[in-house]
Amino acid sequence: MTSDTLPDPLALFDGAACALAVSAEDGTLLRVNQCFSDWVGMTADELHGRRFQDLLTMGGRIFHQTHLAPLMQVQGRVTEVKLDLRHRDGHTVTVLLNAIKRDHPDGVRHELALFGTTDRDKYERELLNARKLAEALLLEKTAAETALQQAQAELNEAYIKAKRRALFAEQMVAIVSHDLKNPLTAIKMASDFLARGERTAKETQLIGHIGQSSERAQRMIADLLDFTQARVGVGIAVTPAALDLHDVTRRAVDELRVAFPRATLVHHTVGPADTCLDGDRLQQIIGNLVANSVAYGDLQHPITITSRLGDDGASLSVHNHGPVIADALMSVLFEPMTRGTDQHTDVRSVGLGLFIVREIAKAHGGDVVVSSQVGSGTMFTACFQAQH
Amino acid sequence: MDLRHRNNVNVVGNGSSTLVFSHGFGCNQAMWNYLLPHFVERFRVVLYDLVGAGLSDPAAYDKAKYATLDGYAADLNEIIDGFASGPVILVGHSVSAMIGTLADRAAPGRIAAHVMIGPSPSYIDADDYVGGFKPEDIQSLLDTLDSNYLGWSSTMAPVIMGAPGQPALSEELTNSFCRTEPEIAKQFARVTFLSDNRADIGGLTTPTLILQSTDDLIAPVCVGEYLHRVLPHSRYCLIDNVGHCPHMSAAAACAAAMDSFLMPWTAAHDQ
Repeated sequence: MTSDTLPDPLALFDGAACALAVSAEDGTLLRVNQCFSDWVGMTADELHGRRFQDLLTMGGRIFHQTHLAPLMQVQGRVTEVKLDLRHRDGHTVTVLLNAIKRDHPDGVRHELALFGTTDRDKYERELLNARKLAEALLLEKTAAETALQQAQAELNEAYIKAKRRALFAEQMVAIVSHDLKNPLTAIKMASDFLARGERTAKETQLIGHIGQSSERAQRMIADLLDFTQARVGVGIAVTPAALDLHDVTRRAVDELRVAFPRATLVHHTVGPADTCLDGDRLQQIIGNLVANSVAYGDLQHPITITSRLGDDGASLSVHNHGPVIADALMSVLFEPMTRGTDQHTDVRSVGLGLFIVREIAKAHGGDVVVSSQVGSGTMFTACFQAQH
Repeated sequence: MDLRHRNNVNVVGNGSSTLVFSHGFGCNQAMWNYLLPHFVERFRVVLYDLVGAGLSDPAAYDKAKYATLDGYAADLNEIIDGFASGPVILVGHSVSAMIGTLADRAAPGRIAAHVMIGPSPSYIDADDYVGGFKPEDIQSLLDTLDSNYLGWSSTMAPVIMGAPGQPALSEELTNSFCRTEPEIAKQFARVTFLSDNRADIGGLTTPTLILQSTDDLIAPVCVGEYLHRVLPHSRYCLIDNVGHCPHMSAAAACAAAMDSFLMPWTAAHDQ
């Protein structure tokens, strides 16, 4: 090793593969090499007397003052500080600075070595930007999750509130309907009692009105009670017993002929008659479906009631020749508070009839279906599984 | 709360008055080592690290609390209450001069005098005020801090420990000198350089010594002169020095100026 002769130290300094400089303690440049000159675009003469820190970007100059200068004083050296040198023409050269403080014959000097690191810097900035992006995305994700959680909590609270309110409303309907039953029964009994005596024609007519109206009100209240039982309580109760399906239907149709004298009711029977169902509830279904047909059907044509018993169970159908049920109405037909057109105001109800029909059919393990077509009219069919 | 642990508080010296040394942005209490020996014979001296700097408790750094200088001012008043005795003279470098001002405003009368080294109430130029910087300069500083993220975090320690010719500095102090958790460094840089405390400092009547370097990029002469104008009881002293740390690079001149200013509080001790 020692046999190799080094070039002249000045040539080594000036031609080094990195930028070299010697400055006074305050940064005033005393010597620079060729590489240093090239990176800042100024000759050694032009640089003489300038301060190293004044060749940096503003961020680097502040950093020099707040970090580098104190560090040089405290520890006598710095390593691997990344700075941007400003070239005379405006572009910057990213460098890594190593510096050491040394006593020279003429005083304390800072010896600086700078290595170009522009490409590495680009890569590091990419890494840094990727990190920042990842952090920002994480922050965004966290914020979105928080917002979602809050929205869910709000929705939950609103749902609970709405549920409580609905329950309260339904309970109120239940209580009011129940309480209305007794005075209505009293009105009906009183009008029946009055009808037995000698009355003028006008009085008889008025008493008839009272009786019919209170019966209608009683039916509405019965519907309301069933509705609240289905919604608030455990569902509509059915008590199946052995019965004659066709006979029960016939009696119901007979009663309805009295109630709806303007309509023509026709009863068909199909199959055997003996089965096990809740007779009162069957009558209720027939009543509701026939009342519906009277309200919305065409009374110029008969309303046909079919009671059917087969191997797959029992069914009751009510058919009328009314106008087609609109598509929009079909999907909500069996929901509570749904009504058809308002043209027959005298038969208007609270809109619970079909809901109750469906609930009763379901309580029997069955269901209700409807078909409504131009030409063939509208038919509701309630099916039941025979109970044992 | 253990203040000593939170702010790495060190108490040295003897005297009937207390000097509280508060370092600036970038370093820690070790920067006072050049000035310190001059005062320990005559004063009780309290040194501490701002939370986030030096050997302060990293767990104490609360982003919200230290989003303004008021958080640091509150800490300073707690340290004064906890460790000072007799009249208190705050020696604040750079941003700590403003932290001292806010502490004084928050608890008037507690600080008897200020020594402000390289102070600036606002770094950004605004209307007829010259602070020396434009907003984009601060962004440039944040970029530089970003670039020196890795270098300062782990590779610095062995180099510093091998520092030659500074036996006076204890190892634990030099180890952490200038090292700050990168995110904290950036927030502190923002808080420091974007603060405008002109309204806080204007008209402050506490006796104040302004030590102004002749050539300081961070706090130029015009800023020192501005402060001298708005502080009615201020003494202005120009120190022949290049750079922002005259208490390090021109410690003797600073000490001489301070001796003269501190006479009233030194005399009390001498009697």
